Amino acid sequence: MDNQQSIRPHPKPLRESVNLSDRTLASLLLAPTVAVLLALTIYPLIYSIKISFQGQDGNWTLENFVRMASDRFFISALAHTFVYAAVALTFEFLIGLALALLLNTHIRGRGLFRALLLLPMMLPAVVVGVVWRLMLNSNFGAVNGTLKSIGVNTDALTWTASPVLAMASVIAADVWQWTPFMFLILLAGLQAIPQEPYEAALIDGSSAWQTFIHVTLPLLKPAILIALLLRTMDLLRVFDQIFILTEGGPGFATETASLYIYRTAFRFSNFGYAAAMSFVLLAVTNIISIGYLRVLQTKEA
Amino acid sequence: MRRRRRSHIGLRAAALVAALVFALCAAGCRRGVSGGKALTIAINSGVEGDALRQAAKDYEQQTGVHINIAEFPYANLFEKELIDLNARTGAYDLIMLDDPWFPKFVSQDVLTDLGPLLQKHGRTAPDDDFVAASIALCRDPFRTAGLFALPYVGNSQLFFYRKDLFAKYNLKEPATWDDVLSAAKTISAQETNGAPGGGKVYGYVMRAAQGNAAVADFMPIFWAFGGEMFDANRQPTVNSAEGIAALKFMLELGKYSPPGYASFNADEVGAHLLQGTAAMSINWPAWISSFSDPAKSKVTGKIAFGQMPSAKNPGSAEIGNWLISIPRDARNPEAAMDFLLWMTSSEQMKSSAKRGNPPTRRSVFNDSQLVATFPSYPAQLKSLETSRPRPRTPLWNEIENAFGIYLSKANSGELSAEDAMNQANAEIARIITRGK
Repeated sequence: MDNQQSIRPHPKPLRESVNLSDRTLASLLLAPTVAVLLALTIYPLIYSIKISFQGQDGNWTLENFVRMASDRFFISALAHTFVYAAVALTFEFLIGLALALLLNTHIRGRGLFRALLLLPMMLPAVVVGVVWRLMLNSNFGAVNGTLKSIGVNTDALTWTASPVLAMASVIAADVWQWTPFMFLILLAGLQAIPQEPYEAALIDGSSAWQTFIHVTLPLLKPAILIALLLRTMDLLRVFDQIFILTEGGPGFATETASLYIYRTAFRFSNFGYAAAMSFVLLAVTNIISIGYLRVLQTKEA
Repeated sequence: MRRRRRSHIGLRAAALVAALVFALCAAGCRRGVSGGKALTIAINSGVEGDALRQAAKDYEQQTGVHINIAEFPYANLFEKELIDLNARTGAYDLIMLDDPWFPKFVSQDVLTDLGPLLQKHGRTAPDDDFVAASIALCRDPFRTAGLFALPYVGNSQLFFYRKDLFAKYNLKEPATWDDVLSAAKTISAQETNGAPGGGKVYGYVMRAAQGNAAVADFMPIFWAFGGEMFDANRQPTVNSAEGIAALKFMLELGKYSPPGYASFNADEVGAHLLQGTAAMSINWPAWISSFSDPAKSKVTGKIAFGQMPSAKNPGSAEIGNWLISIPRDARNPEAAMDFLLWMTSSEQMKSSAKRGNPPTRRSVFNDSQLVATFPSYPAQLKSLETSRPRPRTPLWNEIENAFGIYLSKANSGELSAEDAMNQANAEIARIITRGK
């Protein structure tokens, strides 16, 4: 045994004993992380770029990208994704802003309200999907049950089974779950605004509405843009809730791009086409995000 | 100084224990892999898994061969198996597959031809006790050539109806789809407050959620009306006059189905029958045990099982069997074949049947003890023997998806029957052209 060495009273630090510079040590310690990152993200990314340019037979081709232009399913899935994202974003922003303004004042029990409001966001999207699916069941669900008990004829309210209502239903579930996120960021933004501009506005005799438009909104702009940016990215890739709630139905009415990409890859085993569609979705998301960032930067400058 | 010394000894002791544990584990794990005394089977998690776990224990006791069971939910099983088999990992010695997946696996050449393995057991073909319709699924091309699987669970659709309501309105067991429609009209009109919890009883309940659900409920109508998915040249013919008439009939029957059925899956159909809010439906036999369970059912003893109604053609149910195959890259195909023959023997299939898996052997369907427990067995055997498979093509998942979307569009009122079938036909033709 090497007793002599290991029970030496003051072992030198590793760096001293092998004489490493700070820089070398840092890169040495980072190496495992970098290796894992390379293996888990960079390699799959390069691989998916490669297969998006390959046909089912493995030859190099552009057919995956050409096919998208004439794929009615993909085009309508993309359209559904935009409708979903735009409507959900609008509602989440307006309701989130209203709640943030309300709970930024000194009303009683606002701590409790804040805590309650955050609950939906904590739930996994799959759970939200299941809960809403049960609530919206047209025959046994809580929503129609409640409406029936107050005398509403619910025969036409087949939430997930008619094209327009189904889209409204999946959007409602998203608004329910993610408005708290909007609220949280906007509330943080509101609380970061200093008191002085408000005092100045008060002295100038500005009305509440004028104060909101000319003081609150401009100062809140960075928070608004960050919240919109994060939600837009999430909305464009929505998958779990819709998959559970409607599975894209009825008749493709709520099929989003992510669902169609999933089916293409894992049901139809066409990974190349799925990868190509993913990159198009990624490009769209990036373009929109860059738009937000531009606005953010110009305002700050 | 002392303190430091002691802590070093402690560290060493800990390292020693860790090393020992690691060594033991490594030895243990190695025994499982390289001893050749273990097989791994990938299966669907559910009643199929419950039955197999017990069988695996018995098999290990008898032969010393340990069976590892890898269970996956239905939604992931197909992709998991296909990716593993294509990557040639050899991770599985046996796989369970739903019969519509079979043509895809065979076309990718990832399954073992069981013929030569069977010959080592002195047989040229599986024994005649297997239901012919089930064995036909395991051959490629269909029914005629090489054997690439054995059937383990023999599901086929059944027609369910409320015998109490049929007796009340003096209706006979429906023999044709027209009988079904007129019975649905009568019951919907009369039973406006006849459900156990109050409320209406719908004459019929069907499911038309896009994808598998809509297609599964439509196929028996489509076939009975004389529809065929493909012609002799493998070109789609769903928009034939027969096909359109069948979809029109489905939409007519849908008027007597609970509102919202365009988003229903098997669960909603089962729930309506169990709650007593619907009088007829097509469903899989897995629901039968719930019908007689008072904890789940408000209609115990009131549901009868009939044969699939006919129209222009005799009625046929859709078959849905679980098959077991040996992957081409299985590490030990002979040991896998031994287990496969053992688990599909009539004795083992009987114990699997007791746990709720319909068999694929006539002797097990006819077993008097089992018939006493499962009174639906004679009806199930008849349904299985006259069943039809989903069209056999490696592109079935994609075709079924497209077909299901248009059926669902028709049932949700977005498209007329003609438009839905024409658009479905065009889409299926595109899928086939692309797949060539």
